[in-house]
Amino acid sequence: MSVDLTKEIDLENGPTDEELVAETVKGNLASYDELIRRFQSRLYGVIYHLTSNHEDTNDMLMEVFDKAYRSLPTFRGQSSFYTWIYRIAINRTFNFLEKRKRRQGAMSLNEIDEDGLPKYDMPDPIQRNNPSKSSMLNELQNKLNESMLGLSKEHRTVVTLYDIQGLAHAEIGKIMGTTEGTVRSRLHYAHKQLQKSLGIYLRR
Amino acid sequence: MNQKEDFSELQKLLQLKRLETPGEAYFEKFVDAFHQYQRQEILREEPWYSKVLEVLFEPWVAGVPRLATVAGSVACLIAGVAFFLGPVAPGITPLADGKVAHAKGIIVAANSVDDSLQIQPELIETAAGGEGTQLRPLYVNGHGAVAYDSRLAF
Repeated sequence: MSVDLTKEIDLENGPTDEELVAETVKGNLASYDELIRRFQSRLYGVIYHLTSNHEDTNDMLMEVFDKAYRSLPTFRGQSSFYTWIYRIAINRTFNFLEKRKRRQGAMSLNEIDEDGLPKYDMPDPIQRNNPSKSSMLNELQNKLNESMLGLSKEHRTVVTLYDIQGLAHAEIGKIMGTTEGTVRSRLHYAHKQLQKSLGIYLRR
Repeated sequence: MNQKEDFSELQKLLQLKRLETPGEAYFEKFVDAFHQYQRQEILREEPWYSKVLEVLFEPWVAGVPRLATVAGSVACLIAGVAFFLGPVAPGITPLADGKVAHAKGIIVAANSVDDSLQIQPELIETAAGGEGTQLRPLYVNGHGAVAYDSRLAF
């Protein structure tokens, strides 16, 4: 596909997401690459904390960006691109989780990445200087994943978006198509459940 | 007061999960990997019937019916209602006293009280325009047209 280079956006001046969307629809593929760079890490986080599996997350992330790219011409800007693509990611991950549940029954803990920590961006000093602390963190993170998977997907989503990604209640409501009150109540319930299962790791 | 309602320690613990990322190298290569993925996807486009199968076998998504499921159900409902409430047969209009008017102009009388077959040739002849006309009578009983039998043709 030929791209009109004269129309290419100067990315250093920081075009908005919506400007990048408009350019992508016109055929400027570099704009979509920029959108991917902006959202890849955050969407990876959302999908990963819902699936607890890096390989599935990688596949899902590809699918999400592909689906969003194909659907861009229908994006009417009624919500922000940010909300829209988050919604795609969450809906597709929910579908994936439903399929996985039907295929294998309840989620098996064997599916959680076991070789987790070395792959993660753990601060080096912890791993090098304090192996026992690193091992404790490893155990703690496994327990965290296990507890997260014990929540329903809706509750896991609000915990992911609020506690891990730091989004506001209102934003989460828009993404999940629900009210702020529902988000707050789901969050409260999820916190209570997690507090129960992670109690021994928490200071009182 | 209620210690159980303080989730600050839990929230600190949950923030540990922010560390669970695949690292910068993964994200640096992601765009290239995505382009490769798209090329592969174009090469293996799904056949049209896979969408139909998807709707048939997965009519619900995350507890919500698909749009296609809703549309299909409404279409079936409308077709069902039309089937039961529609005309008795194509080209036949019920008249008073159990008679029916056929599209070809033939009038056949029916006994609305008795379900047995009733054909009144004189009425057929009258309606068809006189003796000797080739007619294809319709069998009519109290419930409407039943069948055509060539042995009874005049």
